[in-house]
Amino acid sequence: MTKFTHIDQNGQAHMVDVSEKPITARTARASASVTMKPETLSMILAGGHAKGDVLATARIAGIQAAKRTPDLIPLCHPLMLSKVSVELQPDHQLPGIRIEATCKLAGQTGVEMEALTAASVAALTLYDMCKAVDKTMLIGDIRVLEKQGGKSGDWTLSADSEIEHKPFVSRSGAQVYVRFFAELREELKQDELVVSLDELQEHNYSLTIAGLKDWLIKHHTELSSVLNRAGLMVAINHQVADAGSPVSGGDEVAFFPPVTGG
Amino acid sequence: MFHISVQQHPFDAGKEINLLTAQRTDVGAVASFLGLVRDFNERPDVLALTLEHYPGMTEKALQSIAQEATQRWPLLGGRIIHRVGRLEPGDPIVLVLVSSAHRQAAFDACNFIMDFLKTQAPFWKKEHTRSGDYWVSARNSDEKAASRWQLGRSEATHD
Repeated sequence: MTKFTHIDQNGQAHMVDVSEKPITARTARASASVTMKPETLSMILAGGHAKGDVLATARIAGIQAAKRTPDLIPLCHPLMLSKVSVELQPDHQLPGIRIEATCKLAGQTGVEMEALTAASVAALTLYDMCKAVDKTMLIGDIRVLEKQGGKSGDWTLSADSEIEHKPFVSRSGAQVYVRFFAELREELKQDELVVSLDELQEHNYSLTIAGLKDWLIKHHTELSSVLNRAGLMVAINHQVADAGSPVSGGDEVAFFPPVTGG
Repeated sequence: MFHISVQQHPFDAGKEINLLTAQRTDVGAVASFLGLVRDFNERPDVLALTLEHYPGMTEKALQSIAQEATQRWPLLGGRIIHRVGRLEPGDPIVLVLVSSAHRQAAFDACNFIMDFLKTQAPFWKKEHTRSGDYWVSARNSDEKAASRWQLGRSEATHD
């Protein structure tokens, strides 16, 4: 069985002696996410936040934090990091911000603690910047995604577990995010899917709600019964739309049954 | 001018009225609608219901309904609170408050807001009864109630 490396034969915590370990190139990547209200995300993206550029501040905070890791984690070696990068990506599906931190060095011990610290502190900084408008934000997904170099060799989360790491949603491509609510979501057993507009265009579907619906029915036959239902409502970017409404890259399109609030 | 809230926790209608009228001497009328969870609907013996909504869109939809009401009637303020999550019979579910100088505008606008909330705001109810759970279907009568406002009836009654 694998043992805890930071605990000796007597059960005491100690710092591992790495003097004899060869120097190799090490990389580690870690993630975090901050789930928030859609309005909070919109506010961050619009740059209208009272505390200034939220994403840039969180990125710098993450980089600074990586350099302070041995001060925080008792048995962690001080390292000469050769690279720290922190990326923050908005994800409308979350809704919130996804964070990925990468740390590199040529050394005798791994850098996953630095990557985890960078991702965590970037998430905490996002919370600090936005807490005045949203106190319900949830910090999560803090984990190592990948390690390279060293005695134990290369490791990736996806190869080691059933857990599928959700990659950054690409915002560059022409995609629409399709969401389903209430009865639709339950019947389909899914609440979202991503559709490439390039594919719609290639096959001569119109770039409208009607075209998107036709494409969905053709390519996801399980959707045909719910999408043909009487009274089905549709919204583009939170505004009620109809069959003729145009869709474009980055749009969020929601299909839902007639509403029953009040 | 309108305060909008979509929330899980209960509200106190009396406190909300006080918030609407605090430090104002121009308000002559407040009309309110308070909706409660019934223990019978499509089936008898409703034990509870779960309200789902579309975060982000719901608030915008309520805001635009309130804005439409503000354009149609001379209103001084308003509050719309709608609860989501699990609710039981007797629980307050929705509150619409509208203030104006004279009663007719407040009555009409409150009625208008409820009609459009029922047909435009993305909320969905799932009822839990002794004989099973089901999603509540939309009522034709709600559609009809909302459509009468487009006929210009409101303009005729607003003083």
